[in-house]
Amino acid sequence: MRILVVDDQAVNCTLLKYMLEQESHIVFCVSNGKEAVEQFTGINPDIVLLDVMMPIMGGFEAAPLIKKQANDVYLPIIFITALDDQKSLTRCLEVGGDDFISKPFDKIILSAKIKAHTRTRELSLKSFQQKKLLEFHQNEVQREHEIVEHIFKNALIEHLNVPDIFDYHLSPASMFNGDLFLASPSPIGGLYIMLGDFTGHGLSAAIGALPTSKTFYSMAHKGLSVGEIASELNNMLSDLLPSHMFCAASILEINKTGRSVNAWLGGLPDGYILDEIGQVKRVLASQHMALGILESYEFEDSIVHFEVDNTDRILVLTDGIIETSDKHNEFFGEDRVLDIMSYSKQAKISDVVDAVKEFHGDIEQQDDLSLALIYCKATPLPDDEPRSFSKIPMTFNVKLEHEQLKLSDPVVQFVDLICSIEGASEHRSNIFLLLAEAYNNALDHGILGLDSQGKDTEEGFYQYYEQRAEALLQLNSGTLNFTALYQPDTQTVLFTIEDSGDGFCTTHCHHADNKSHTHGRGLGLMEEIANNISYNDVGNKIHINYCLNERATNT
Amino acid sequence: MTLNKNFSSDGKLFTIQIKGKFDFNLVQDFRSAYSEIGDKTPKVIIDLRETDYMDSSALGMLLNMKKSLGDSVSSIQIANCRPQIKKILQISRFDKKFDID
Repeated sequence: MRILVVDDQAVNCTLLKYMLEQESHIVFCVSNGKEAVEQFTGINPDIVLLDVMMPIMGGFEAAPLIKKQANDVYLPIIFITALDDQKSLTRCLEVGGDDFISKPFDKIILSAKIKAHTRTRELSLKSFQQKKLLEFHQNEVQREHEIVEHIFKNALIEHLNVPDIFDYHLSPASMFNGDLFLASPSPIGGLYIMLGDFTGHGLSAAIGALPTSKTFYSMAHKGLSVGEIASELNNMLSDLLPSHMFCAASILEINKTGRSVNAWLGGLPDGYILDEIGQVKRVLASQHMALGILESYEFEDSIVHFEVDNTDRILVLTDGIIETSDKHNEFFGEDRVLDIMSYSKQAKISDVVDAVKEFHGDIEQQDDLSLALIYCKATPLPDDEPRSFSKIPMTFNVKLEHEQLKLSDPVVQFVDLICSIEGASEHRSNIFLLLAEAYNNALDHGILGLDSQGKDTEEGFYQYYEQRAEALLQLNSGTLNFTALYQPDTQTVLFTIEDSGDGFCTTHCHHADNKSHTHGRGLGLMEEIANNISYNDVGNKIHINYCLNERATNT
Repeated sequence: MTLNKNFSSDGKLFTIQIKGKFDFNLVQDFRSAYSEIGDKTPKVIIDLRETDYMDSSALGMLLNMKKSLGDSVSSIQIANCRPQIKKILQISRFDKKFDID
């Protein structure tokens, strides 16, 4: 131990120094309180032996100043005193002294006292270090929580882009929420909604929300069905979560008219379709086990489908709401929720939340509370973004010999080629239709010499495609030329498809408007979708003009 | 290009979902898919949410299905069409014969 002796009498100092050094302490001596206070930090003692009567600054005055510098660690101050009246000793304790040692010094008593205070000092030092360590960890955890909270906020925030047709409430039992509510518009119009409840609550429950929301949004952007979304989430969660954790969820898709709903229901309490005045029209009972339990081959993606009115609302909730209990351990229950919703047409989620809060009173919230009300309204497609078009003229030319005609179905490859032109990909379905019709006409009639007659009956239709497959197998000559010319000034693509056949005018040209008979429904479609269609004289070459600078869906 | 089919949990709804390209390559698959429908009169949904491409042979297949199923189903709905696919159906006046949402 480092021991500071504060005494104005050199003899006392020398004596104490000698006695303490024998016990292997390091001893420093100063001659008054002021020096002790000034040199305290430099000496950094573990124990202070302090005389009472000293010039400049006495022990009573110095003690509190010394204690102050010791900060949070216990610093024993032992007064050296010849006084033995009660008043003086009490005074020693009042100013911060911890013990006394009387003059003349007894070596055994001094040694015992120093040992006792050393133990206390060491304990205090240890607890001080632990406290510092704890503070460090607390700061670290708080910083990490802040980061995680930030990530969560960003991961779950996408619902802001969604039309305002739902009302929801999530209140976590702790800082992190094991419940999640996600909503995303569908690329084909309409809306996806998911309410999920992970096992437990707090950070461990919330951690699954991150990959769940990312998966949900990416599947929703692709416009997949709720069964497929559920199946994908299940696979992801069963890989990720420990086996005792899972996610009860309802995944809904409301189509763009707001009148047709598909739902995958796994493990949440009953949901409800409520009519305009809040009466239950239909109960949405869970059909499946929660997500993250079953292996992919056991998983069931079957859904329920139902029609709703635009005045209906869908209510979904997690068990936190109905299992909230009051001081008599009674559950809040479904009936109370439904009663509130049927009080008035304007009943809102916040009314239920207020009632739940009042119900549990000052009992601590046990689980995450979540519920959502979705209004079955139409959600039209979002507006298209402004488009731009390539300014570079381009020509594509593909010549197919009969071997390639036999083995490949190249139309999608043609479409991909054309869609590499900036501004064309929005038109991919239309371009496919035009090229598929023209290509199949050229191949079926020009090269294979098939006749469409008889295709009108069901059997004839299937026979036609059987004949086609057979004829293709036997094919040993013929070529087909595909050309596409993009003109940037008019933003138009001119397609030409030419086959090596004789042309429909030489083979079947019985009367002038034979085209509609030969090509049936396909030609009508092409004429509506293309800007212009023309043939050469013999009828083995078709020109299709298609302008990219018109909305692909304008009719 | 794939075709998926399934009955809903209550067996009242039969869904055929076509991914990618709906053209003559699916002639056999499509026909065998709807031949599974018995006389339990389910509602049929042709879900085209993931159908990018469609040509006149697909229209032929849909018409054949309608003829073949006749009154054995309560309704045939063509659902979740992308705008361009919907336009093709409208040009072909399929909205008169099918329930297109």
